[in-house]
Amino acid sequence: MKSRLPSWWARVRSRLRPPRTLKVTRIGRTYLVVTFGVGLGALNTGNNLLYLLLGLLLSMVVVSGVLSERCLRYLSVRRVGADAAFAQEPFAFRWALSRGHGHAFALTLSETGSPLTGTGGVGYLPAGVEHVVRADLTAPQRGPVLLTGVRVTTTWPLGLFAKTRTFPLESTLLVYPRRTYACQDPGAPEQGPVGDAGNPRRNDGNGDLSGLRELAPGEDARRIHWMKSASAGKLLRVEREREERRTFMLTVADGLDAEALERRCEEVAALAHRLIEEGHEVGLDTPEERLRPAAGTAQERRLLRVLAWLGHARPRGDEEAA
Amino acid sequence: MRKGTRLRLALRDLGSGFAFASMAVSGQLPIWSLVLYGVALVVALAGRRPFSNRVKLTALLLLAVALTLGTNVLAGSLNLVVAACAFAGLISAQRLLSTPDATTDGQVHLSGLLMVAGGAALSGELVYGLFLIVFGVLASIALALGVVESAVPEGEPVPVRAVMGPLATGVGFAVVGAVAFFVLFPRLNWNMIGPSASPGLGVATAGFSNTVRLGGAGTIKGNPRIVLRATLSPDPEKDALDAYWLGRTYDVFDGQEWSSARTTSDGAGFMTTLRPGRENLVHQRVELMPAYGARTLVAMETPSRLGNAVTNTRQGSRRTQIEERGGGEVRFRDAGISYSYEAYSLPPGASGDDVQDLPPEEQDALLALPEGLDVRVAQTAARVLNGERDPLAAARKLSAWLQREYSYTLELSGDVPDPVADFLFQRKQGHCEHFATALTLMLRTQGMRARLATGFFGGERVTGGYVVRAGDAHAWTHVLVPGRGFITVDATPPAHRASQSPRLLEQLINFYEVVESQWRDVVLDYNFRDQLTVLRSLSRSHEVPKKDEPPGRAPPPRAFGAALLAAAAAYAAWRLLTRFLSRERPLEATRFADAVEAQLTSARITRGEGETLEALDARLARERHPLAPALAPVTRRYLEARFGGRPLLQGEATRLLADLRRAVLTQTQRGAREGTRPPQARAS
Repeated sequence: MKSRLPSWWARVRSRLRPPRTLKVTRIGRTYLVVTFGVGLGALNTGNNLLYLLLGLLLSMVVVSGVLSERCLRYLSVRRVGADAAFAQEPFAFRWALSRGHGHAFALTLSETGSPLTGTGGVGYLPAGVEHVVRADLTAPQRGPVLLTGVRVTTTWPLGLFAKTRTFPLESTLLVYPRRTYACQDPGAPEQGPVGDAGNPRRNDGNGDLSGLRELAPGEDARRIHWMKSASAGKLLRVEREREERRTFMLTVADGLDAEALERRCEEVAALAHRLIEEGHEVGLDTPEERLRPAAGTAQERRLLRVLAWLGHARPRGDEEAA
Repeated sequence: MRKGTRLRLALRDLGSGFAFASMAVSGQLPIWSLVLYGVALVVALAGRRPFSNRVKLTALLLLAVALTLGTNVLAGSLNLVVAACAFAGLISAQRLLSTPDATTDGQVHLSGLLMVAGGAALSGELVYGLFLIVFGVLASIALALGVVESAVPEGEPVPVRAVMGPLATGVGFAVVGAVAFFVLFPRLNWNMIGPSASPGLGVATAGFSNTVRLGGAGTIKGNPRIVLRATLSPDPEKDALDAYWLGRTYDVFDGQEWSSARTTSDGAGFMTTLRPGRENLVHQRVELMPAYGARTLVAMETPSRLGNAVTNTRQGSRRTQIEERGGGEVRFRDAGISYSYEAYSLPPGASGDDVQDLPPEEQDALLALPEGLDVRVAQTAARVLNGERDPLAAARKLSAWLQREYSYTLELSGDVPDPVADFLFQRKQGHCEHFATALTLMLRTQGMRARLATGFFGGERVTGGYVVRAGDAHAWTHVLVPGRGFITVDATPPAHRASQSPRLLEQLINFYEVVESQWRDVVLDYNFRDQLTVLRSLSRSHEVPKKDEPPGRAPPPRAFGAALLAAAAAYAAWRLLTRFLSRERPLEATRFADAVEAQLTSARITRGEGETLEALDARLARERHPLAPALAPVTRRYLEARFGGRPLLQGEATRLLADLRRAVLTQTQRGAREGTRPPQARAS
């Protein structure tokens, strides 16, 4: 648990934090080495042309800093978010970027202070236009991810330095369990006098007529087609297209360790996806929450949300970016 | 490949080409490296990258080239810096022909950077500065386009035009910054290696040799290259100096070629006195250019003292000794690419030499005639002189006769058995050596001492000094006048003494010389003393004006400095004011809406209870109200400013309100003309 720092210390830290961070790129490192070499050569030989070249190289460094700073000014960023984020697979994430005035070039956006990996980029951002930047991000694991800010980086104009500005923007992204293959069977569907699922006729099908076959022992006599049986001299039963909609209740047991819990969540998510795709109703029973069975994509989203929060403390507002 | 990508690669390749050219202008790179790089550049510009699938093979080739260059360096046939530069060029060529990706691009640019650094070490040519700037601009654009292109999603065009504006501003500031750094950075070098000289492009053409052979083939009279620069003191301040610049003399003629009777050296020293000086000596600070190509010092007629010589080599510059040889020739002891020295010459007139002052062998040689000289030479001389016995008068008479009877040509006769007879009696045309030889020999046939002198004739004024071209190479006659010494008599027609190169070409070279002179003074020779001068000129002047001196009309440098500071302050104030005026004002949109509502009220359009401006606009559009077209853009901008994060720009509200007011006024006038009440919107 984090210790609560005094507010004055937070203020001091925020004041000491540089407004921009600068990182030398690979080509920039070589550029600096060459500049250093030219400087040594100029000092050694007194060759004025080397001094001129050195002046040009150093000026380009300064101009690079000024132009990149102009690029990062007057920017505003809004987090649009993702439709659905699954762990360990790329998901589309969006930011809306706009600029008060002037142009910006070669901006790269990413989330700062979070385990999300991946960047989105925009080549040219004119003034007064909101540009939606899309990125394929990847989250390492399931659960809520606290997003503290958006990092905007530019290598404009020469690619020698990567200057970064961080926009503080707090939000939470809920990452669903990894989509994997469900190895285990979901188990028997629920039976009982509840709705269609409790009707035994439902198991024999109640759709359109699909054929006739001889009645097997123990089968429901109400399915016999008496006229055809009379003409055939044996008991024939009607076969109808069956409605496959069943009700399943998936469970996540209590007391699982972290790894087992993760594996179970992924399995349940996969099962739920498969069953809902097949048209079944799926419910979820976890130590923290119980979700009533239902069908459809909305139910799948509800299941995923419950699975994503499993094992994590859920805030009161339940705010999330996704 | 995208359009922007093609442009970027072309700029990258061209930038690399200019970087290579900045080395090539030094003229020191091996020819084969020039050819290889040129072919690679042309192929790359044509869009072909044949090394894409042959990375290992071409790397092996590069290794072989490196070994060859290293062997040459170890054998002493190639300078280490030159070898390094050539190898950098070949690496760049290999990269140009490889698959263009981010890594390759970076390697091409960095090899270009190494090449311009190598060019700075190899040469000090003016064109180097030009190529450096062009490389900087092209490489910057290519780098910037690459940076933007990497951020643009695949399939979208690269915004080339948008990149150019800010980048041009940035490059402009970089050049200004480079100049400021160059001017202000202290020149405190360690001097472990001194500045070096480069031979430049082209072949040295104006050399002196121990003999002058008549006939032969080839000419340098049409060559406009500058071989000598000189600053004279006192300055004659004439545009055309028309002076004789003496290199050496010849006194023995064997019927085919001239040579000197004395071939021994008088020993070397840092200063040589050819003849005692008098008052009014003309001081010359002379620089012999790489195009000169000889070790003979040249001075205006008649040289008195020469010395303080410095030879410039590829390894650096150093002081060198000079030695006097036969024929009055003074040579640099050490060979170099170019030289500089000082000379003092007697004022125009006679040399003051007495025949007894000359070595015995030279005294005899001044009257010597070649065996088998055509007897018609002496007969012709006697006929022309008609009894004239004064050497100077006789020389002038013969000179005038030659100029009158013979014509000048640059078409050489080739090797003939008797070139003098061929000139005088067969072709009757020749160049300066024919005229000078004929005059010298004709004088000798009449018992008058004379010798052949070679050097240059001319001198064009360029930026306070004088330049002499290779085409100014000339030969003339020295006549020994008893009691006065050697006097110059030139038998060549005056119009053909100086360079015969095209005038336009000469003017172009003069212009180049002016610019290069500035380049030399301001860039190449800029030193710590110049820095102190610059700083002193920026500070307050402590000089006390002289009483008689009228006050200068130009403002002092500090006035320019103050003006610069004032301009910077005004610019900063303007930027602050602009930023203040264009700041985002949260209530501006609301005030704008209030103003719109006031105008609508004046047009008798009232808003219903709780009816927003957006709803009012929609209602007027539905009712096809005449003001609806004018209100629509106003409403849209209000909504954008209030809720869309696009604040109203400076002056935009005034413009929009003026448009609306105009529409309201038009509507009111139309209503008055029709005599009806203006349409009134219902309050809903």
